Amino acid sequence: MIGFILRRLMSIGVTFIIVSMIIFLMMHAIPGGPFDGGDMPMPPAVRATLMERYGLDQPLYMQYFKYMAGVVRLDFGIPFQSPGETVLELLGRAWVPSLVLGGLGVLIGTPLGILLGIAAALRRNTWVDYLASAVATLGLTIPVFVTSMLLILVFAVWLNWFPSSGWGSPDRWVLPIIAYATIPMATYARYTRSAMLDTLNKPFVTVLRAKGLSETRIIYQHVLRNSAIPMVTVFLPMFIGTATGSIFVEAMFRVPGLGAYFVSSIRTRDYPLEMALMLMLTVMFCLAYLISDILYAWLNPRMKHGGRKQ
Amino acid sequence: MSASATPLVEIRELTVSFAQHDGLVQAVRGVTLHVDPGESLGIVGESGSGKSVSCMAVLRLLRSPPARITATKLALAGVDMMQADKKQITGMRGRVAAMIFQDPMTAFDPVFTIGHQIIETIRVHRNVSKKAARAEAQDLLERVKIRNAAAILDSYPHQLSGGMLQRAMIAMALSCQPQILFADEPTTALDVTVQAQILQLIKELQQEFGMGLIMVTHDLGVVAETVDRVVVMYGGKVMEQAPVQDIFDSPAHPYTKALLGAMPGQADGRARLTEIPGASPNPAAPPTGCPFHPRCPVADAQCAAEVPPLISVADGRQAACWRLT
Repeated sequence: MIGFILRRLMSIGVTFIIVSMIIFLMMHAIPGGPFDGGDMPMPPAVRATLMERYGLDQPLYMQYFKYMAGVVRLDFGIPFQSPGETVLELLGRAWVPSLVLGGLGVLIGTPLGILLGIAAALRRNTWVDYLASAVATLGLTIPVFVTSMLLILVFAVWLNWFPSSGWGSPDRWVLPIIAYATIPMATYARYTRSAMLDTLNKPFVTVLRAKGLSETRIIYQHVLRNSAIPMVTVFLPMFIGTATGSIFVEAMFRVPGLGAYFVSSIRTRDYPLEMALMLMLTVMFCLAYLISDILYAWLNPRMKHGGRKQ
Repeated sequence: MSASATPLVEIRELTVSFAQHDGLVQAVRGVTLHVDPGESLGIVGESGSGKSVSCMAVLRLLRSPPARITATKLALAGVDMMQADKKQITGMRGRVAAMIFQDPMTAFDPVFTIGHQIIETIRVHRNVSKKAARAEAQDLLERVKIRNAAAILDSYPHQLSGGMLQRAMIAMALSCQPQILFADEPTTALDVTVQAQILQLIKELQQEFGMGLIMVTHDLGVVAETVDRVVVMYGGKVMEQAPVQDIFDSPAHPYTKALLGAMPGQADGRARLTEIPGASPNPAAPPTGCPFHPRCPVADAQCAAEVPPLISVADGRQAACWRLT
């Protein structure tokens, strides 16, 4: 197991380097630069000075090595769009709302989705199943900005229960978190239902019944555990998606999170910030898959204990 | 084992049908049979004859819907399984009647050890400590002639061979000393070399535990080796019922005769096996009259029109055929 983790960590290192190169190249492949300034062009001399100050006049490979040398020391540079702070400070500040919104969204949506999926699987082809499936399908097909609009309309405008936007106080968290939670809830409802039905149709479930185990015990001690194996692989990557926040939910509710920076950093050619955001995503996804694999092996003895004894 | 004792299993006029999109599939169409304490019964028939479904119905293992079960009597050890509530039924399963299945490779939960699954069975029916249950489980594995029993207890199903798993399955079935064992094609999925060992083991343990046995199989060779009495099923109905020796020596029903003709290794050493012409009846639209009449060499107009009743043809023998004389 330790060997497996070490090998995986090494391959994550290699992935990280390759991804950083690709991102760096693609970022610079977009025409234009940070100081081209659309409506208000700067005098060429000023622009040249700025380009030199930020090292943008050097060959691309030099820029890459300089940036990566900084990354090793956790120095991601200064964002062009707010030079008063470092990239790391900006991320630290903007990440908190995204993490709260996404984290709570997933922590609320996932169990709800799992419960919905279990209910649907156990009462298949009854109204419970149809209702759960309808909720799941709607959750997946209605774009989250439409859901957000509906929530604002109903709970902020008509009922006046919650503020329509902002992030200052916890009552402002409620609507965006609900909007965000629909995604993991719908995804999990579908995954859980199909994983449960898949397991319930396995011959060993009939054997468990024939042994005299109660239905409740079969579901909670055997079927859920078996169904969890395919589900684990979806959970952590989805969690990462939330750490970056949902761009749409954050925009709809004007949450000062990370989401907006993904767009603005590309639009303004804010190279240091763009790079930092992408590298952060890469590392988180790699780690999420590593942890999923470890969990998968832990839940599934066929992975841990490879060969046959007999 | 006297005739007056309550039968272990008593089935009268059992029907099982499954509601499908395009109508009703009639898997079992009026089966009557019984097993006395300590007796072994073979149920023989081809796939789709309703033999497994009949056994599953006794333990109420068929999910309904889609299954619809009717019977004038469906009793297990004197308990009416049609009237019994959920709790009673789960209490009977594994304790009064245990079942082993066709494919041992898929019969165990893959995420728990063999030991865990045997211990679980013991503890669900009997109030014993984990430690005592583990000792019992190890003892059971030894009784089914598994050598390194302690190591096997801690193995996961995927680490063992099919034969080994079927032994473990038998050990698990015996863990609560059931009065009857349902063996649903227990050797079909196994290597030929292992099949004979498993059959021998089942037979030995049946005698040792003094329990009843229902051996469901499509293989007449299997019943010849393991049971006292045979029920031959076809198209969801009982065709013939007789002591095992009589089935081989003097089969009464044309279907039984045809089955024997299709069996390899007969004494007269034919070069070619006789196949039964035609195919099994479609359970969604069974033939009128005797289900075997479309394939029967001696069928006449009456066979196609009227269902032959199961009648006594000799002491302890019954057959359902209009052409018996």
